[in-house]
Amino acid sequence: MNSAGYIQPEANVRQTAIAELKGVSKHFGDVIAAQDLNLAIGEGEFLSLLGPSGCGKTTALRMLAGFEAPTSGEVLLDGEDVSALEPYHRPVNMVFQHYALFPHMTVAQNIAYGLKQRRPRLPKAVIAEKVSHALEVVRLDGYDRRRVWELSGGQQQRVALARAIVNEPKLLLLDEPMAALDRKLRKEMQLELKTLQRKLGITFVLVTHDQEEALSMSDRICIMRDGRIVQVGSPQDLYDHPSSRYVAGFVGTSNFFDGTVTARSGNLVSVRLENGMSVETSRADGIDQGQEVCISLRPEQIRLKRSGEGVPVSVTNRIFLGEHTEYIVNHQTLGEFLVLSPRQSELNEGQFDTGDLLVASWEATAALALDRT
Amino acid sequence: MSNNNNYISKQKFMEELYRYKKGSVTRRHFMNVTGLGAASAVMGAAMPGLLPRPAFAAGDIGDRVILATWPNYHDPANFDAFSEATGARVQVNVFGSNEEMLAKLQAGGSGWDVYVPTNYTITTYVDLDLIEPLDTSRLPNYNAPSYDPRYAEAGSVGGKLYAVPKNWGSTGFVVNTKHTDGGQPLTTWKEFWDITMNQFSGRTTVHDYQLTTIGNALKYFGYSFNSIDEKELADAEQLLLDVKPHLFAISSDIQPSMRSGDSWLAMAWSGDGKQLNTDMPEIAYVLGAEGGELWSDYYAIPKGAPHMDAAYALINFMLDPAVNTKEVLAHGYPTADATTTAMLPVALQNDPILYPAQDLLDALEFGAAATLTDPNRAELMARFKSA
Amino acid sequence: MKQRTRNWLLLAPAGTWFLVMLIVPLTVVLIFSFGERGASGGYVPALTLEQYANLPARWTAFKNTMVLAPAGTMAALLIAYPLAYFLAVRASPRWKTILLVLVIVPFWTSILIRSYAWIFLLGGRGIPALLGWAGLEDIRLINTPFAVLIGIIYGYLPLMVFPIFVSLDRLDKRLLEASSDLGARPWHTFVHVTLPLSIPGIATGCMLVFILLMGEFLIPAMLGGGKVFFVGNALVDLFLQSRNWAYGSAVAVTLVVVMLVTVTAYMRLIKRLGAQREDVAIM
Ligand SMILES: Nc1ncnc2c1ncn2[C@@H]1O[C@H](COP(=O)(O)OP(=O)(O)OP(=O)(O)O)[C@@H](O)[C@H]1O
Ligand SMILES: [Mg+2]
Repeated sequence: MNSAGYIQPEANVRQTAIAELKGVSKHFGDVIAAQDLNLAIGEGEFLSLLGPSGCGKTTALRMLAGFEAPTSGEVLLDGEDVSALEPYHRPVNMVFQHYALFPHMTVAQNIAYGLKQRRPRLPKAVIAEKVSHALEVVRLDGYDRRRVWELSGGQQQRVALARAIVNEPKLLLLDEPMAALDRKLRKEMQLELKTLQRKLGITFVLVTHDQEEALSMSDRICIMRDGRIVQVGSPQDLYDHPSSRYVAGFVGTSNFFDGTVTARSGNLVSVRLENGMSVETSRADGIDQGQEVCISLRPEQIRLKRSGEGVPVSVTNRIFLGEHTEYIVNHQTLGEFLVLSPRQSELNEGQFDTGDLLVASWEATAALALDRT
Repeated sequence: MSNNNNYISKQKFMEELYRYKKGSVTRRHFMNVTGLGAASAVMGAAMPGLLPRPAFAAGDIGDRVILATWPNYHDPANFDAFSEATGARVQVNVFGSNEEMLAKLQAGGSGWDVYVPTNYTITTYVDLDLIEPLDTSRLPNYNAPSYDPRYAEAGSVGGKLYAVPKNWGSTGFVVNTKHTDGGQPLTTWKEFWDITMNQFSGRTTVHDYQLTTIGNALKYFGYSFNSIDEKELADAEQLLLDVKPHLFAISSDIQPSMRSGDSWLAMAWSGDGKQLNTDMPEIAYVLGAEGGELWSDYYAIPKGAPHMDAAYALINFMLDPAVNTKEVLAHGYPTADATTTAMLPVALQNDPILYPAQDLLDALEFGAAATLTDPNRAELMARFKSA
Repeated sequence: MKQRTRNWLLLAPAGTWFLVMLIVPLTVVLIFSFGERGASGGYVPALTLEQYANLPARWTAFKNTMVLAPAGTMAALLIAYPLAYFLAVRASPRWKTILLVLVIVPFWTSILIRSYAWIFLLGGRGIPALLGWAGLEDIRLINTPFAVLIGIIYGYLPLMVFPIFVSLDRLDKRLLEASSDLGARPWHTFVHVTLPLSIPGIATGCMLVFILLMGEFLIPAMLGGGKVFFVGNALVDLFLQSRNWAYGSAVAVTLVVVMLVTVTAYMRLIKRLGAQREDVAIM
């Protein structure tokens, strides 16, 4: 399936595009790191590039920063083609994965570095003012004379952030800025980063392979695979309307069943599953009669009851999660799948235990027939 | 540049390089002596069983003999023949001055078996007890009556024989006549020094050797070659200091730069003169009319030589007139041994470089022992070099 | 207790070496320097400062050494740095290895033999002949301070290249990207990031080369024609020609002292340079 159909800058982007990739490809010898990337980044938005390792996220980011020149295509900043512009001429700053702080400089010298490159020169007082303000923003007041290697990982990360934002870039690129932090600190920083982005109004492009991070922080997420963009959209969009099995699996969790389309009627299609069962599903774009598809069924969309309409299942495992309860149920021919029951449903039906025989049901519109890729 | 047994001096290297280029040494010999073939030598030494060792009738004299001598002063083929005959390999260390040799022996632990002191140094070695008296019964090839006493007498001190004559020669200068007025060679030391400060500025090489450099500077004023008179030395020093900016080099290794044409004029021992003149006839060897040095080198054994038997064997071998003839043919220095001289080609026996005309010869002086130990001469030379 | 014993054992080989190879000879030389020359050379015990009083006689040797050693170090640095930079930053991994090997290869041959190549190159039939064709007549290179400088640079270049290469190679290349990203032009990045971070390499290289140059005698002897005289040459002469051990020892002691003073001053300077960066306010 061609991803292009899902990228409609005009429709998806609320504001004007501050940066844009137009048909951008990057080859390293035989390796195709990026292929025909089309992406418009709106002013002030928080966009995440999400995908597995090696899918080309860093490459895309580096082309925006100017460290790599595209093999073909254009990189636009503010509507101007900057493909040939050196990094130091681009109003773009980057927070590096391992921060890349200058070890021979103090915290303040690191932060002032970008400001000192400005021509005409900024007055010293202005630089000092901006540096101390940036330190305040990242909550590191009083650390200005410290050496960077004396700082903790989280503090270093904040210095890196301050060093970038102090320049008030049009575009801030972050390459897995939180990857080196422990889980708790990462959560904290995610929140801080999101708040900061709102406060400063700077456009953020974040590279991550942590879906939770992407879902919780981004205005839009750009899902990548093997050097291509697969789908771009808001977190809800991607969750509710994944364009393929790949996206559905990447954003949230889902149960997948393979089958073949047997009939179409309006917004619904009938799919015959491999066990011979026929299922009604809501139809995604580009699904045709006879096509081999994959049905995606989100765990929270499945209802469990002791009796009634639905497929018969037995409970294999139960995990109580407070607000929800997670059940792994088994169907004779479909195999095991995951169900997420809200607390309320248990209160109505009573608690199910391992070995209980139940029926599982769902709305026809909840199941999605998706491209198998 | 000091030497030890496994390090090759620059003179030695150059000497061997020229030999190799001229084809008188095999490539293998060249590689070995210069250390380029060190790896194979080490291998061989580490596994002595691998080295071929013929059996000898004369008895075992050990596997090596260490010789301290001068550059361009032997026929390597003779050493090979010696090894072949006795199983003892000749290790050669070459030196630039008698001072250097004396310094090595004075410091102790030289490890030499045979060395080649010049006439005027022998009394000092005797005084310092650094030299072994020779047992002529172990030198059957030494036929004393056959030697010209003029070049042999310095070998005996206090009636005891300490050294036997190797070769003798003169110290003059070589001049490349392509650069002189009318292609005529110079004739005097005065001209030597004067032209250096004018027409030949930057083209003259003087020895890195106090005896000849100071001695020939003394000759400029007509003083004795051996003077240790303070005032005369002061004059010589002034001359040397005036000349210094005009010198090409202060080096006893004069041949390479004379051959390449970088140097046009150089102090030279007669053998250097002969070798250069043979290869490049435009280079003339001149004895300064005022005089200069006449010298005679000797074979001697230092006190405490580690391979005494081999030392005697080597000296005896080299004194064999047949061997000695080859030596003279290779290096161009005459020998005091009449038997050997008679075996040389007639042309060589009449060679004016080897055997200078009587009047020129008469003006020459043997170096005096005092010059070796005189602190003023040594220090003068050092001041000149470091100026 | 056990720990202490082990520490002693660890230090024993180096300590013994240090004692035998450094302290003992230095002490001997120091004692000799207060003695006198024997009648036919060597050393006669005495307690006199005469040898030190005579030091001005070797003024030129000290002057040459103190001029050409720093000049050679600087020249080697100026040539080595771009080379090391290219090797560490620009060259592709394959070329890096090849070029590094090429830098080392000359070290496999004795400096003596390599100097002969230079004698030829700088001699009348070498570079001057080429210059002659180009119309520059009668240029003399061999046996000049310039030739010695060339020999020094050539002989010591690898010693300078390696420490600098190591410090540049270790340098995190992302720092260069970070600098560029923050708006610094390449030259600015070089001056403010690359150069400061390679100072340890520069300091090591300069120190190595300088110390060795202070004691050099082979290159001046071979390429200077005995006319460009270093303290090392003076020492060779004093010990091997005039056999004036007492005076030679005094010169050697003086050289060691000069060396210690210069090196200490140099270390102080490097340390101050480092400290200064710390003291500078953010601007
Ligand atoms: N300089 C380069 N030379 C050759 N291949 C490269 C280069 N940079 C990236 N690649 C290749 O391009 C592909 C994409 O790399 P990229 O770094 O963009 O992936 P990524 O999505 O950032 O992965 P990760 O999550 O592991 O950081 C990979 O196959 C990588 O090996
Ligand atoms: Mg990456």
